Amino acid sequence: MENNKEKLYNVVSEILGVKKSDINEKSSQDNIENWDSLAIVNMVTELERAFDVQFDILEIVEFYSIEIIRLILIEKGVKL
Amino acid sequence: MDYPKEWPESLKNIIDKAYKTNKFTDIRNALKLVKGQLSANNEKKINIGILRTYTIETLIDCLQLSLSAIPCRVNITLGGLDSIEQDLFDKESSFLQSSLEVIVILWRIEDLLPKLVWEVDSMSLKERRDSYNMLIERIKRIVEQYDEDAPLIVSTFFVPDYWKNSLNDKHRGYGIIEIVYKVNLFLYRYATLGKIRIFDVSQWLGSVGNSALNEKMNFFARQPFDPAYGLSFADSFTKVIRPLLLTQSKVLAIDLDNTLWGGVLGEDGIENLNIGKDYPGSVYWRIQQTLISLKNRGVLLVLLSKNNITDVTKAFDSLIMPLKLSDFIKLKVNWELKYKNLKEVAEELGLGVDSFVFLDDQKFEQGEMKALLPDVKTISNSGDPLNILESIVNSYYFDSFSIEKEDLSRNKDYKNQINRKKLEDTLDREGFLYSLELKANIESVSSVNLQRVIQMILKTNQFNLTTRRHSSSTVNKLISTKGSILITISLRDKFGDQGVVGLCIAVKDDTCDGGLIVDTFLMSCRALSRGAEDVLWCALMKYSSNKGYKILRAEYIETNKNMQVSDFYSRMGMELENDKNATQYILDVTKEINFPSWIDVSFAEE
Repeated sequence: MENNKEKLYNVVSEILGVKKSDINEKSSQDNIENWDSLAIVNMVTELERAFDVQFDILEIVEFYSIEIIRLILIEKGVKL
Repeated sequence: MDYPKEWPESLKNIIDKAYKTNKFTDIRNALKLVKGQLSANNEKKINIGILRTYTIETLIDCLQLSLSAIPCRVNITLGGLDSIEQDLFDKESSFLQSSLEVIVILWRIEDLLPKLVWEVDSMSLKERRDSYNMLIERIKRIVEQYDEDAPLIVSTFFVPDYWKNSLNDKHRGYGIIEIVYKVNLFLYRYATLGKIRIFDVSQWLGSVGNSALNEKMNFFARQPFDPAYGLSFADSFTKVIRPLLLTQSKVLAIDLDNTLWGGVLGEDGIENLNIGKDYPGSVYWRIQQTLISLKNRGVLLVLLSKNNITDVTKAFDSLIMPLKLSDFIKLKVNWELKYKNLKEVAEELGLGVDSFVFLDDQKFEQGEMKALLPDVKTISNSGDPLNILESIVNSYYFDSFSIEKEDLSRNKDYKNQINRKKLEDTLDREGFLYSLELKANIESVSSVNLQRVIQMILKTNQFNLTTRRHSSSTVNKLISTKGSILITISLRDKFGDQGVVGLCIAVKDDTCDGGLIVDTFLMSCRALSRGAEDVLWCALMKYSSNKGYKILRAEYIETNKNMQVSDFYSRMGMELENDKNATQYILDVTKEINFPSWIDVSFAEE
């Protein structure tokens, strides 16, 4: 669903301080400088609220690319 | 939430939204706008250094936003994780290089005593006790060794979420919970000695609940607090920082009907007023008790009521309740607009309206005061008695770290002030000054009067030539610096003793042989216009010539509050220094010294 993808990109781009147009499926820790553990803490908190889900500790460790975050969200029943 | 009165409504709404949602983007957005507003208003800056044993990086935006409303521009420097001593005592540390004005330590028991917290069941009573003693020794070393100028704020410890429900831990000697409380008691004791100030994280957690602890974030990023509680945490932090930057309000002007009792005197009659031990009179009873404790801490109470004074006197005479009419320093019971009455009281007491706080149950009275005397702090409330009570208890206008002798006698002092005014009106100026039978005592600054000296340094705005806000460690350093002069003046007249009312600090001028520079010269405003400032100045002359100084230099540093002393140095006979800017003065101290003849001056030591 376009809406949820929009929501995901919004949250991620604002936390990382980059333009939304710079975020895509391939965005990850490897190509975005600010994507540190601090940003991950903020992403977890904000995404939990935005999608009304809870991530467990093993999932958080994998928060290093949009692709994986998307997969984890889909596993939780979010249509993406 | 209270915002600086200059802030536009739109900005307040955006901040309110951030407080409501606690969302990262809302907070960041609000912070960006607030920062713009702060630089536009050119607000004062403060550098805060935070040492910590856990991650608070994600809370920095929250801290910035909350502190901004003081108002001030905040710069936060973080020390490394777990490097408190290295950052604090290595003079070369980059942490200390950031000219910090406040240093805060945030710590947890599990970071300082991990073995105790996670392996406690394999430890004997002796081992647990040893762990406790080790921690106490560490804290002692930190506090005793600390010698920076910046005040040291230390957080209390809190019980780790893991242990809060353990029955067993509460029933063994030196269990984790017991140790946390013991260490906190130890910190409180240091606070009463004035060595540290307390940021009570433990009480904060108690009030918001342990849901503010987020174990997931703790494991993942060593961040104990849930970001959703970031602003709440930050507000609790701000409460400790605010008194360092703001002067405490001095007067509470209070409405009567439906504020100090339930009902309207003129309509309901004395016998139908609600005040007593039963609800809802009991809430008003508690409001009155709260006001009495404010009065006992040195706050002046003024009654502002639209009523007939005879009715009010009769009501106070016949009702049994905590407040008496004599608890008020001034009664303004008439049908005038309240802001006019408040302005009059301010003039009579010789105080600016910005030292006043206004409490009234009626929205339109609150609005009128805000609109017509915006410098008065109006306590917002809904008019419901419980809400009035809570709004007084939670307002920070009268917050201070310590209460000095001068606070406790302030009520008596202003009563005397009113009597002095009456006498002044009946005599000519000179006759009046002689009739006061003034006695001044000059005393060196020492540990005996240090707390009061620091209080004056932080609080005095109007009669303050340089407005340098020194910390106690700076003052201590100056005391032990050879050649410096630090003296206070206390004042007494036939109406009463005002205690220490003025301070002068002068330091050796290294650029000039036999030269001395005035670092600080200030007087409490209730001591003015009786010649006390001249006595303090003459005392400075006397001490400096005794010490062999020949030239005195002084500088007037203008603020938006100290205009009244812009000509003080020239009144004292100083000359403007030629080729320097217009605020530097110079004086030959070998001149004759003339103390005011109507004051009997004594010197505690020389």
